[in-house]
Amino acid sequence: MNAPMDVDVSYYVVLSTVIFFIGVGGVILRRNPLIMLMAIELMFNAANLALIAFARVWMNDAGQIFAFLVITVAASEAAIGLAIVVVVFRRAKNVDVDEVAGLRG
Amino acid sequence: MSNDALVLLALWLLPLASAILIFAFGPMLRRTAGVIGSGAVLVPFALTWVLAASALGTGGLRVHLFDWIAGFSFGLWLDPLSLLWTLIITGVGGLIHVYAIGYMWSDRAIARFFAYMNFFVFAMLTLVLSDNFVGLLVGWGLVGLASYFLIGFWFFKSSAVAAAMKAFVINVVGDAGLMFAVFVLFAATGSIAYADVFAKAATLAPATVLLACIAIFIGCAAKSAQIPLHTWLADAMEGPTPVSALIHAATMVTAGVYLVARCAPLWDVSPEARALVGTIGALTALVGAILGIAQWDIKRILAYSTMSQIGYMIMGVGVGAYQAGILHFFTHAFFKAQLFLAAGVVIHALHDEQDVRKMGGLGKKMPLAFWAMTIGTLAIIGFPPFSGFYSKDAVIYGALERGYPLLSLIGVVTAGITAYYMCRMLFVTFLGNYRGNVPDVDLGIPAREHGEPHAGESAPAWVMGAPVALLMVPSVVAGWVVIGGRWNALFDSDFAPKPESALATVLPEWLAGVVVLAFVVWGVAAAYRRYGSFDATASAVERLRAESQHMAQPLVRAFYFDDVLEALFVRPARAVGSAFMRVVDPQVIDGVVRDLVWLAGWLGREVRALQTGLVRGYALVLALGAAAFLAYFALIGAAR
Repeated sequence: MNAPMDVDVSYYVVLSTVIFFIGVGGVILRRNPLIMLMAIELMFNAANLALIAFARVWMNDAGQIFAFLVITVAASEAAIGLAIVVVVFRRAKNVDVDEVAGLRG
Repeated sequence: MSNDALVLLALWLLPLASAILIFAFGPMLRRTAGVIGSGAVLVPFALTWVLAASALGTGGLRVHLFDWIAGFSFGLWLDPLSLLWTLIITGVGGLIHVYAIGYMWSDRAIARFFAYMNFFVFAMLTLVLSDNFVGLLVGWGLVGLASYFLIGFWFFKSSAVAAAMKAFVINVVGDAGLMFAVFVLFAATGSIAYADVFAKAATLAPATVLLACIAIFIGCAAKSAQIPLHTWLADAMEGPTPVSALIHAATMVTAGVYLVARCAPLWDVSPEARALVGTIGALTALVGAILGIAQWDIKRILAYSTMSQIGYMIMGVGVGAYQAGILHFFTHAFFKAQLFLAAGVVIHALHDEQDVRKMGGLGKKMPLAFWAMTIGTLAIIGFPPFSGFYSKDAVIYGALERGYPLLSLIGVVTAGITAYYMCRMLFVTFLGNYRGNVPDVDLGIPAREHGEPHAGESAPAWVMGAPVALLMVPSVVAGWVVIGGRWNALFDSDFAPKPESALATVLPEWLAGVVVLAFVVWGVAAAYRRYGSFDATASAVERLRAESQHMAQPLVRAFYFDDVLEALFVRPARAVGSAFMRVVDPQVIDGVVRDLVWLAGWLGREVRALQTGLVRGYALVLALGAAAFLAYFALIGAAR
């Protein structure tokens, strides 16, 4: 793990930040739940990128291990999220998240 | 454990085992419960005799049971004092159990009755056999509980329930006093065992001893019906007659006498406590006797006489004449149990009639009850050579010997009054003509409820007759134990020797006895003139009606003790209770709950506007929150 850094870490951080905010924008702006889930995936992976980059910089495996954990969580989240989408679609015949507002106070 | 120790353990636990057994299998046992219950008291009586030799030896018989907490051992101690009490509890108690088989024969709950009775015997044995104050306190509380169960045994009578509650509440007042005494003694000596506490008694500060003595005596006064905590005893007669005989005459109410005698080393170093206890005892004897004059219920007459006689005992042990007080306990247990059992025979035969005005002329119809009552009366009024003569004289002369001539004088006067009211009961009940068919109004009896008379078949007559007949013997001869000085020597290990007294040399014992006897004869004569003579019995109905209607109010109201206690304690307690019900409960306690409910509702109404149901809105808030966090940490980092 002593390989020299070919690329400066700041590029990774900037890329990770950009991807993360694309994800945030996707969740806030899009109304299709499937797209929103994909945007959330983007945010996860932006975080993973940052974790791995820093693991490399600090020569510490903890970052890499944590990235695996995030991948696992992301997989479960996608499974549950898609299941919810399917159930909501069956009930409401509609997948526009703004229309599905049964919890409005 | 030695054999003696095992025997002591067995005699202590046998009544408890029997109580549990009867309680568990009562419906199956029915009348057999009476036989088992009586056996569980009579066998310990026999076992007690086995232990008599080792109890009278040096130091008595001690059995260590377990360490309660390290350093606080719990054990049993059979010494001459507790031996005497154990013999009375199991002996007289056993006879009363046998009698109760007959008395409760047709009662549906006879098994429950015997379960309670055995439980009482166990509690009383715990009280007298314990070798420390905590064990004493446990027994003290349990006998109060057993008394509560048994007074309220006929719980369908509201008067019985009220009487049971009154007895229990007053007894708990005494328990609290006794508990406080144990705290004081433990704080002062660091031990709860009798032996340790008494060994240090002489070294304690006088104020501490006085405080402990007063607190102990509050317990004694409540349990032994001494002024002003005596008011429960007469009401306790609501219980079945065997209960009155066992608990409210022979054993439990004498627990106070036992405790004062047991704590003799404390009293010996506190003359003030002695004077207090002696005075209360003498006053109780006098008040009880005076109130006995005004009663019409045969059991209430006996209840007041019990209170009066316990006053004598407390006066005896209070002034330091321990042997005399204990002797009076010993003789009283026999003749008072006998009086109650004889009264029970009468009540049973008359189908629960207890008013002496409705009796009369029963001497010929019930010769056994008549003779038992006569012997009991002769014993209680102290007629020679019956047992009460020796013990009452011993108490009266003991007070004189120890320098309390005034108390002694009260004792003499009380002896005269005792003779009067006891003979009044005897003559009104057994002489003249039967008045059971005379209407209540003609006898001056106020309107009253009639209980349901006992139905069903009766037990063989000997079941109730034999205990009454057997008790006649000790009622006559029990006092003779004092002859020859063996009695006093029995307790040499428990009590300090009596001091020399100037008064005793002026007035020799035989002369004091003659004075007492003169008062007694006067009392008997007065009662005979008023209730027993030919003239009196011939015009009994008119005389009794006149007496009922013109009875002095203070006597009818029992010297207003109940009214004073009611005004001082019951009414303020009720006022506090109703104040809580009207103000504190609805306003404060319910109020807080109501306010919390309202707060939750208000909060919900305000916050629910935030729930738009718009997922993207939530995501925006989330993102903004994250941004705010980020900004905050960035600024902190910059500042550092």
